[in-house]
Amino acid sequence: MPDVAVKNLRKDFGGVTVLHEVSFTIKDGEFFTLLGPSGCGKSTTLSCLAGLEQPTSGSIAVGETVLVDDSSNKFVPPEERNLGMVFQSYALWPHMTLAENLAMPLNIRKISKTEQKTLIHDALDKVGLAHLSHRYPHQLSGGQQQRVALARALVYSPKVLLLDEPLSNLDAKLREQARVWLKRLQSELGITTVYVTHDQEEALAMSDRIAVMSNGHMLQVAPPHEIYERPATAEVAAFIGRSNFIDGTVVSARGGAAIVRLEESGETINVAVSEQAAAGDLVTVAFRPEKVFLTNRGAEVPADAIVLNADIMTTSYVGSRYAYDLKYGSKTILVDSTTGGLTGAVRLVVPAEAGRLYPRANVVSKDVAELMAVTH
Amino acid sequence: MTTIPDTRPPAQVATQRPEYPAPKYRSILGGDRSQMLFWATIVVLALLVLAPVVPTLYQSVMDRPLYEEGGLFTLENYTRLFTEAGFGSVAVNTILFAVMTTVMTLLIAVPMAIVVIRTNIPGRKFFGAAMQWPFFISSLILGFGWITMYGPAGFVSVQVRRILGFLPWDLYTLPGMALTEAVALAPIAYIFCANALRNSDASLEGAAQTVGAGPFRILWSVIIPMLRPPIVYSSVLVFSMSIETLSIPLLYGQPVDITVFATFLYKNGLQSIDPDYGILGAASVIILLVTVLLVAVQAKLLKDAKRFVSVRGKATRPRLLDLGWIKWLAVAFITIYVVIGALVPILGLVMRSFTKIFTPLQNPLASLTMANYQRIFEFPAYVGSIRNSLIVAGVGAILVSVLAVVAVVVSKRSTFRYRKVIEYLALAPQAMPGLIIGIGLFWAFAFMPFNTGSLLQGTVWAIIIGFGLRALPSAFGSISPAVMQIGEELDNAARVNGADWLKMFLRILVKLLTPAFVAAMVLTFVVMMKEYSPAIFLGSADTAVIGTTMLELWVQGNTGSVAALATIQIAITAVFVGVAGLLMKGKKDA
Ligand SMILES: Nc1ncnc2c1ncn2[C@@H]1O[C@H](COP(=O)(O)OP(=O)(O)O)[C@@H](O)[C@H]1O
Ligand SMILES: [Mg+2]
Repeated sequence: MPDVAVKNLRKDFGGVTVLHEVSFTIKDGEFFTLLGPSGCGKSTTLSCLAGLEQPTSGSIAVGETVLVDDSSNKFVPPEERNLGMVFQSYALWPHMTLAENLAMPLNIRKISKTEQKTLIHDALDKVGLAHLSHRYPHQLSGGQQQRVALARALVYSPKVLLLDEPLSNLDAKLREQARVWLKRLQSELGITTVYVTHDQEEALAMSDRIAVMSNGHMLQVAPPHEIYERPATAEVAAFIGRSNFIDGTVVSARGGAAIVRLEESGETINVAVSEQAAAGDLVTVAFRPEKVFLTNRGAEVPADAIVLNADIMTTSYVGSRYAYDLKYGSKTILVDSTTGGLTGAVRLVVPAEAGRLYPRANVVSKDVAELMAVTH
Repeated sequence: MTTIPDTRPPAQVATQRPEYPAPKYRSILGGDRSQMLFWATIVVLALLVLAPVVPTLYQSVMDRPLYEEGGLFTLENYTRLFTEAGFGSVAVNTILFAVMTTVMTLLIAVPMAIVVIRTNIPGRKFFGAAMQWPFFISSLILGFGWITMYGPAGFVSVQVRRILGFLPWDLYTLPGMALTEAVALAPIAYIFCANALRNSDASLEGAAQTVGAGPFRILWSVIIPMLRPPIVYSSVLVFSMSIETLSIPLLYGQPVDITVFATFLYKNGLQSIDPDYGILGAASVIILLVTVLLVAVQAKLLKDAKRFVSVRGKATRPRLLDLGWIKWLAVAFITIYVVIGALVPILGLVMRSFTKIFTPLQNPLASLTMANYQRIFEFPAYVGSIRNSLIVAGVGAILVSVLAVVAVVVSKRSTFRYRKVIEYLALAPQAMPGLIIGIGLFWAFAFMPFNTGSLLQGTVWAIIIGFGLRALPSAFGSISPAVMQIGEELDNAARVNGADWLKMFLRILVKLLTPAFVAAMVLTFVVMMKEYSPAIFLGSADTAVIGTTMLELWVQGNTGSVAALATIQIAITAVFVGVAGLLMKGKKDA
């Protein structure tokens, strides 16, 4: 199965640009996820791949086959692309039984009835529903419908599988099981898969690579652990997992590290940097709640660690850990810790490799910022 | 409960998967076959809509009839229209009539919608259904019924005059016309208001109730404001419908010389020995301008207030208000509307059809007769008109519904560049009064190249085209919500699976739209059964329909046979709607 290459894909809806020159390549057999908040353009990207939307400009190719290219005015309609797609609402045709639903793409491809029978049986068997082939979609549960939709998308062995939030209509428990199952099925089939979701956990758990999208831009394309550990922008850091953001100014930068003076307190902090930073740069320091430590004031800390002074406001026990809200200047800092029982003034230890430096950015929405601002 | 199945062990691994390539669709003349259908749809619609309009516009600026050689451009028709032909007073009458009709329609429909949908009066369901009965009866028949009962020599009038010594009302006046028309149009306004009330948010009222607002307070401060959009919209709709209506003004206005737009066209086009086509054209153009303007306003209003025609029902049922003793007043009001407005005139008409003389001065039962029906069945022309009506409504219902389904689906579900134009074209006949469609098509047939028009002129096909054009917007309007309710992902799934647009339409949408199609056919049948005004110009002696025959018999003073034909038409409609209703219900239960 071939690579999918998307170049400078742009889509306008009546003058509003929904996709800004997006480019990416999906490798053969890869589980590739488009992740981003609702309305960021994931479905539009997928629709362009499927041919359901015609991009304003840009090109899409699967292997040698060019599907869309604005420079040569080429547009292959969806029916000739031979892709499989699962829709958010499953889109099973309500007037047909499961077998008939699966037979439709095979009929169109003029496959003999006997072969159809085997293919339909195999596909339904793969999703564990062969015994229900004569039921109508409305007689099935949501989870079953979702699997039928998958079987229908796979029955004609398409080149690429497109999935638009296929699990979002399932209840939470089932969703987690379905995630594992779907991932396993995909890797067994080895089919190139483009998966759309707004659920970061789902994306992290299932994907080979994730493309994080926001407002029609692709912010980062990378494997899950890199997305989580090394978010390319403050926006990615804010969207994937939880992050604390503190504004500051670079005091000095040398080698792989920078010293940043934090605006809240005037304290300085040591941050490992990969890109160039210069003294005087306005920056935002981000770190994840579980990458930092808390100690009582006066406790021993490693010599090179940077220590900030903060006060604990609230503690909540959330099962596997304690979640602390710290008051740091006018900001609230979230910290996860396995030790409970800390109160009052504490020291916050931020290892150099825990912090990440971004150009000064306003990543926290206004509502959240107001909630987080310490008012007492 | 669902459990996730164990994925079968990977017996064969990825590489062995066979390929089933996507189908190839051949393209014809550089476009695929779906494109061909799109273009065919827009061409058919454009031809149908423009056929009556273009010749009318053309005639209005020509100094002699279109069929005469050497016509010259002139604007004189328009000046003559207002000077010689007295079109000014016609316009004033029309506006007075339309305003009065609109006000009376709202006075009937709005309180009724509130009472039936939102209060706990007894028999709500029944009244809700009864409110819609007048829709199934043509206003021509309703007019006959009213004259039979309340006209100067009507059954009720005679009785009242006997008791009081005088008759406190006169039907043959503008208010009399408006009242009858209002009874005929009230169901339309009622449906819009009722829908708005049904879909409105019950939580608002709940909130008002919890802060202790009484039923009248809730009515005044919550429900009435909610009704503003449907009231505005249905006023414009009713206003434009009363501007173009022919029946009541013709029946009531003719004897006392009150002329409105439609009767002006009727008189000048049909009744004069030497019709002045220039004036006819100019008048038609002016009326068209007014109706187009009104329809444009309607479209704008409808767009601004989409929420009140929302097709999705709210899950929460609004609580019903208790109006105390006033509810009996409401019940009385509705009963009066249904009984006096519709039931008595129609029953009177039916009675009339079975009697020789129908007056309170003599027991009608003493003069029971089948002679009125006999006369109809003796004359082949009259029987022919019943057959024609059935053919026109039957064939027309199928053709119009097919065209409407295709037009709706192309306009709502395709990427065709001119899909919006298709919607406008399909809805355009709303703005075209029946008489103008008749006159315009008449001219168009006269104008067609190689004399092909003569193949149509005077045939049932001409009538089917004229009536069908009139019925198209309502068919389009009835199918459109059904299409919107089908998730677009169902189309998309078919496309991705390998169906081109046409195959998707035939395999998926057609099947899912069958109930809406049947409903549209029933509606179109009823509408075309009631219709007659385009046939006044398009029909010939052989192609009269029930409506035109009734008018002819009425002019001859043959009221008994008019009543008989009216009864037959009502019976046909009732049987058809009843059977269709049963069939559809049976289908749904199965
Ligand atoms: N057919 C359309 N017409 C106009 N705007 C659209 C259309 N489809 C999507 N959009 C807009 O494009 C943006 C991206 O939509 P979408 O791709 O569906 O987002 P996502 O799937 O990431 O939630 C949204 O702002 C949406 O309102
Ligand atoms: Mg989406």
